[in-house]
Amino acid sequence: MTAAETQTRQLVEEVVYESCLALNAEDWGTFLGLCDKETFRYRIVNYSPEIRREQCWMERDWKGLKSLLDLLPRHNSDHSPLTRHATVYRVKVDGTVGEADATTLLTIYRTELDGGNSHFDSGQTSLFAVGKYEDRIRLSKEDGPRLMRRTVRLDTRQIGIGSHVPF
Amino acid sequence: MDSPASRNLEQWNRPPALPGSHYLDTRVYTDPAIFEEEMAKIFARIWLPVCHESELPDPYDFRTAGVAGRKPIVVVRGPDRKVRTFLNICPHRGNTIVRAPSGSLTRAEPSGNPKNMTCMFHGWQFDTLGRCVEIPREEQGYQGRVCKANVGLREIRTEVAHGGFVWVNLDDDCEPLEEFTAGAFGFMMTELDTEPLDIFHYQKAIIPTNYKLWHETSREFYHDYLHYHNRATGMLQKGYFDRKYTVFPNGHAATGLTIIAYDAYEGGKERLLTFPGLAKNGWKQLNIFPSCTYSLRTSCLRVSVMTPISERETLIEIRGLGMKRDTPEDRAERIADHDTIWGPFGRNLHEDLLAVRNQSVAMREGSGSRYLLMAREENETIHDEVGLRSYFQEWSRRLGRPANNPSP
Repeated sequence: MTAAETQTRQLVEEVVYESCLALNAEDWGTFLGLCDKETFRYRIVNYSPEIRREQCWMERDWKGLKSLLDLLPRHNSDHSPLTRHATVYRVKVDGTVGEADATTLLTIYRTELDGGNSHFDSGQTSLFAVGKYEDRIRLSKEDGPRLMRRTVRLDTRQIGIGSHVPF
Repeated sequence: MDSPASRNLEQWNRPPALPGSHYLDTRVYTDPAIFEEEMAKIFARIWLPVCHESELPDPYDFRTAGVAGRKPIVVVRGPDRKVRTFLNICPHRGNTIVRAPSGSLTRAEPSGNPKNMTCMFHGWQFDTLGRCVEIPREEQGYQGRVCKANVGLREIRTEVAHGGFVWVNLDDDCEPLEEFTAGAFGFMMTELDTEPLDIFHYQKAIIPTNYKLWHETSREFYHDYLHYHNRATGMLQKGYFDRKYTVFPNGHAATGLTIIAYDAYEGGKERLLTFPGLAKNGWKQLNIFPSCTYSLRTSCLRVSVMTPISERETLIEIRGLGMKRDTPEDRAERIADHDTIWGPFGRNLHEDLLAVRNQSVAMREGSGSRYLLMAREENETIHDEVGLRSYFQEWSRRLGRPANNPSP
């Protein structure tokens, strides 16, 4: 790997990890700032062996995701924080268009707060979901790398009462 | 104890000053003995939808499920295209026969032939009619004392109806499905049965709650206040509170057509696709006793089915359906519409599940909970709790005692 390739890979890893830190902190503004406003498309998908087809559980563009996040305070939610642990496994750079694909394995934990019996449960952490991020990233020299697409491909298909926040 | 608004223990435990039909004892949600009685007197005797026909479109396709808490079943489409259901238990040594959630029997199993259901344990095989067709070393072991003709699978009454759902009934002597649904589906027949439907969404979750509490979120709309989406798109719209509730025999109930302003929710948009006969942006809902809801929101049908596991645990399965003839673009639009509200990341589902989970926390046996009210009367319009009352009227008929005093 050349020094330039190593540097590109580092940039890709940084944007993926920064996105996790921002989501973990529920810092939606920073997360959206890492996404390309014009092209960003966020999806959560999985394959259901029950109905033997791929299914999409959430799809938003940048504007749609911002609306969803802006409206969170008006909704009744389980406020238990989610912690995303991610490892970037593969980066493939398409130098001709200045973009890269990254495959990241993802584990999400939930630390209970107010979703159930808070006297008994708050503070407990459990595994919530596993899957991977499939990201398309624009490599911009001017304003740094930006997420153009994020597909969250879940292996976990039972996520209890669900979630109001993106993974 | 000075405040007139609070109550001491004796006052708290005193039955409400209401007709017995307008409140219930919370033991109906928490008592394990009542739960067992419900399984025997309700779930073992009524029609329950277990999957949709589009989940097993081809001959030899199968789908496994469970009914009445703990009875494993396998639904299979035969070469004659007929859908049949069997108890998924091998009559030899009690093993599960078909293990996968769905698939095709056209593929051979490691210990069995294609087109049969094979118990992997000892290789007994059953065809799609439930007949035992293979017992390895039958003659050597049984010498005619046990033969294939006498060890077929237990077949379960099955009908495909009401939008192509596969309904089963564990009671061999039950009434036909049409008699059980008692005309309730007439309310949604054009939308469901004009042309074939197709599944696009499946999710399930085991929720620590009593099954009735989940069903009740569809039976009463007063909890509109829980949902910001409902407040913005429904409650603030003219005529919303005029929406009528209709009660049918056997405990079924329906909420009438209302028009929803989907674009009133920021980021939402008007819904362009519908079902046959359904008004643009229309919404209808039908609740089938004791554990199934058809909710038709303009472009997508959601069918929610519950399998009670215990008095405090329920498997909830949610299916989303569109039209079989959908173009890829139509389908994508229906999926997006569905997931905005009802997907696991949707705005309403999470709120409903959060609510019923917390009800079960508060009403746990010994918590001090005593009575719940279902006393709203608003001329059988949307916030009237007649849907709850009709449910417990049927529940009381089947259990032989009132829900406000459920002691045997």
